Amino acid sequence: MKKNTAFTLSGSLALIGSVALLSVAQQGFAASDDIPDLDGLWSFPQCEDGRFSGCTTLREDDARLTNRALAYQAAIDEMAQPKYDCAPMPIPHMWTDPYSFKIEQLEDRVLIYYGKDDVVRTIWLEGHGHPEPAINEFFYFGHGVGHYEDGALVVVTDKFTFDPQGLNADFRIPSSTQKQITERFSKDGEELVLEVSTVDTFFLKEPWEFTVRSSSVDELDASWTCELDGARRSLMFEISKYPEDPEPVRIDY
Amino acid sequence: MTLINKCILALAGAVLLASQVFAHHSTRGIYHEDQELELTGTVKEWAFINPHPYLTLTAPDADGVMRDWDISYGGAAVVHLQRQGYRKDTFKPGDVIIVKGHPARKAGVYGLLMEGGGNIPTREDGTPVVEGGSMF
Repeated sequence: MKKNTAFTLSGSLALIGSVALLSVAQQGFAASDDIPDLDGLWSFPQCEDGRFSGCTTLREDDARLTNRALAYQAAIDEMAQPKYDCAPMPIPHMWTDPYSFKIEQLEDRVLIYYGKDDVVRTIWLEGHGHPEPAINEFFYFGHGVGHYEDGALVVVTDKFTFDPQGLNADFRIPSSTQKQITERFSKDGEELVLEVSTVDTFFLKEPWEFTVRSSSVDELDASWTCELDGARRSLMFEISKYPEDPEPVRIDY
Repeated sequence: MTLINKCILALAGAVLLASQVFAHHSTRGIYHEDQELELTGTVKEWAFINPHPYLTLTAPDADGVMRDWDISYGGAAVVHLQRQGYRKDTFKPGDVIIVKGHPARKAGVYGLLMEGGGNIPTREDGTPVVEGGSMF
């Protein structure tokens, strides 16, 4: 009986310990001078100069675009864009959209839940032994690795797939497998400050940079479900750039 | 007077706020942004879906022939229209409403981009269908 009690007690203690450890791992860890408290729900990012999103948008005639980017833009037509198949917005374009987002800081990673397109991005924190992608592995949202530095989370993301809407989905500006994005998340009082710098030497002559701010919000925007009917609706009004080509036939997923 | 109340040239520079600011499903170049059209018709379908809700309105064209018009809110998503008061049951088939916007350029299809990307349609008596306000 005694033995059973001891066994039960030690088992219970072990269980409590395990739960506590798991809880710590899942809840992340406390903010410090080096580690900003980014955990929570945030309003959609807005420009520091008060503009709605003008500071973030890479426009079709932007002087930073290479001739290759302009040639691509001229060649491809709107109806060939993946967004009409519910393909999500890429990063950094996702930061230019007016949707709230959530950041969850865990011990070995940071998760970003975007209020648009049901996208959850994983940032692997350095020093936790995460496997590196193979040389032939590329990802729609890239492979993001981060570390804390001087009160900021600094994330470098690369290994993106070629994306026809990778720099801007409105103006048909693609990104190559050479796109690399550096994001710096920090706090200024209660505000979240996000500095974004994007390089892609195929399509950008110089880095595309912007800084945006978010404030804390009580809830995320409603869950997002993209429906093909809603995504493709406006295509009926598009005029093909290549009218002599066969009419594209879309797959209903 | 036909059910199309007016079709006038508006001044250049009409602000397509929602469509330009966050319309990834580009409305650029597919609507006559310098023209304004007002339609009175009956609701055929209200699709309150992402990425972009739409309304199908049965209303006459310029020749008085009844057409199904696709009424677009530009780049607005469900969440943005929710903030203005729209709901899944805001419109029911058979509702008579009045909408105002920019007609589609392409021949043979009938579409209207809601003016300003978020103009509020009205009921027959002129009452706005929703409260309105900011999408953000």
